[in-house]
Amino acid sequence: MGLGSLLMDIFSPLMESIAPLIPGEVFPYFFTMELFQRALLAAILVTIVAGFLGTFLLIRNLALIGDGLAHVSFGGVAVGIVLGATSPLWYALVFSITASILIHEMQSREILTGDASIAIFLTGMLAFGLVTLRLKGGGITTDIEGYLFGNLLLIDEADLDLISFICVFSMLLLIFIRSGLLATTVDPISARVQGLPVRGIGLLFSIITAAVVVSMVQVVGTLLVTALLVTPAATAQLVGRSFRSCLIWTQVFGLSSVLLGLYFSAEYDTGSGSMIALVAAIIFSVVGLFQFLKSFISTIFSTENILDSTS
Amino acid sequence: MQPSVVNDNRLNVPILSVDNLTVIRSGNIVLKDINLKVCKGEFIGLVGPNGSGKSTLLLSILGVLRAQKGSVEIYGQPPFSRSTIGRIGWVSQAASNLPRDVRITVRELVRLGTLNGKNMFSWSDKGRVKRVNEAIKMVGLEDVENVDVSRLSGGQRQRAVIARALATEAEFILLDEPLVGMDREARNSLLKLLDQLCHDSDKTILMVSHDLTAIRQTAHRMIFLEEMIRYDGPTENFPDLESLAGLRGIRPVHGEDQSHNHTHLVEGE
Repeated sequence: MGLGSLLMDIFSPLMESIAPLIPGEVFPYFFTMELFQRALLAAILVTIVAGFLGTFLLIRNLALIGDGLAHVSFGGVAVGIVLGATSPLWYALVFSITASILIHEMQSREILTGDASIAIFLTGMLAFGLVTLRLKGGGITTDIEGYLFGNLLLIDEADLDLISFICVFSMLLLIFIRSGLLATTVDPISARVQGLPVRGIGLLFSIITAAVVVSMVQVVGTLLVTALLVTPAATAQLVGRSFRSCLIWTQVFGLSSVLLGLYFSAEYDTGSGSMIALVAAIIFSVVGLFQFLKSFISTIFSTENILDSTS
Repeated sequence: MQPSVVNDNRLNVPILSVDNLTVIRSGNIVLKDINLKVCKGEFIGLVGPNGSGKSTLLLSILGVLRAQKGSVEIYGQPPFSRSTIGRIGWVSQAASNLPRDVRITVRELVRLGTLNGKNMFSWSDKGRVKRVNEAIKMVGLEDVENVDVSRLSGGQRQRAVIARALATEAEFILLDEPLVGMDREARNSLLKLLDQLCHDSDKTILMVSHDLTAIRQTAHRMIFLEEMIRYDGPTENFPDLESLAGLRGIRPVHGEDQSHNHTHLVEGE
C-alpha cells in the first residue's frame, strides 16, 4: 500500500464528516466521493509544500524556475506517454531533476548567469515533448491537455501515491534544512565562512524544487505551476513582518486560493487549475491594493515632514 | 576621534598571514605579490581606488576565491579549516546586498549567525539565545530586534549584519564598505562601535572603505592597495591626498619583518 492510500484512509473519514458543512451544489462532492477526495487531498498537499518552497524561491530570485521546470516536466510526460508508460509522471520526475541539477550547476559555476539557463531548458524540453508527440503519438489529446492545464480528476491511485510521496518527503527535508537554507539564501558568503555546506544545500534545494514541481503538474497544470509556487509567497511578503509570519501567511493565502478555486471551478464548471491560479492572483491584487491604500492614507495624514518619511 | 594607542603585547599574536598572493580574475591580474600580516587586536583600514582589488583580497582571505599563486593562512591554517570556522566574521555591504524579497527580523537575521555545520539541523536554540541577545545588545539594536530588516535605516541594517557576524563569535571581522550610504552621524556611531569591539572585546578588524577621512579617524593601521600594496603602516604616517595620487608610481619597500613602523616609500621606475 502506498503513501497516497494511507493518507486517503486517514483523511477520507475526516472529509466526509465535514461534508455537510460545505457550501455549494457540486463542491461537497470533493468531500464525499473518492475520486474527488483524492483530488482535494493532492491539491492541499501540493499547496502546503509549494508555499514553503516558494518563500525560498522568491528570496533566491528564482521565481521563474518553477515555470521552467514545469515545462521540462511536460517534455518528460510527453516522452512517457509516447513510450506507453502507465504513470508518465515518473518520466517527468527524471527530466525535471536532471534539468534542475544542470541549471544549478550552470548558475553556480557562472557558465550562464541568471534566467538564461532556465529559458533554454524551458523552451528546449517543451519543444522536444511537442515534437515527440507529433512524430509518435497522436498530438495533443485530452489526456495531454490535463498535464498542460491541470486536471485534478485524472489523478488515479498511483498518481496520488507519487504525489504524496514527493510532497511529504520534500516537506520533511525542507523542515530539516530550513535554518541552513535560510542562512545560505540570505548571505551565501557568510554561511560558507560559518562552515555551512552551501553547495550541498543549494543542490538539495534544486532537487526538491524539481520534484515538487512534478507533483504540481497534474493539479494546476504545466502552464500554471507558478501560481501556487510564487503567488501565495509573494502575497505574504506584502503583509508579513518577519520570516516566520511570512511562512504562515503563505499557507493562509495558498490554502484559501486552492479551496476557493476548487469551489468556483466546481460550481461554474471551469478548469480547476486555471480557477486556482486566477483566485491566487486576485488575492494578491486585493491584498496589494489594500496595503497601497493603507500606506497612501498614512502618508497623507502623517505629521512628519515629507523629506523625513522618504528616508 | 584620534587613533588610540595600542596595547603592544596583543600585537604579537598573529592571526592572518598572506604570502606572495597573486589573484587573476578573467585574465586580468587583480592582486600581485601581496604580503600581509595581521596581529590580534589590530584595526586596519584597507583603502584604494575602484577596482584596485580590495574586495578580491577580502574574498581570497575568506577562501571564497582561489589564488593562482601564494598562500593565505588564518590562525596558521588555510581558510575553511576545521579550526578556523566560526572564528572569522564577514560583513558584506549589507545595505545593498541583502535580498530584497525577504522579510526577516533583526533577531531572525542574527540567529543565522549562530548556525554551524553541526547545529544547523537541530531544533533547540539552547545556548544560542544568549549569544543572539548579546550580539544585538553589543550593536545597540534592542529596540528594533523584532522589526523587519528592510524597514531599518542603512546604518541600523549594517549594525544588524555586524551583529550576525558577532553572533558567530568571530574574533577576526572583515568588513566590505560598511559605511556606504550612511549619513555622518550613523557613520561616526558605527566607527565608534567598531573601535569599541576592537578595544573592549578584543576583536581584530580589517575594513575596506572608500571613505578615507572616516577610516583615518579610527584605524590604527592603513593599507593602500592598488594591485600591489602601495602603503602599509601606521595611520599617522599615511600620506595626504596629494602624495597619495603620486603613490601610484611609487613602490613601497618593506623591511624584512613587515613591521609597520619601518615602511619606506621609494620612487619607482
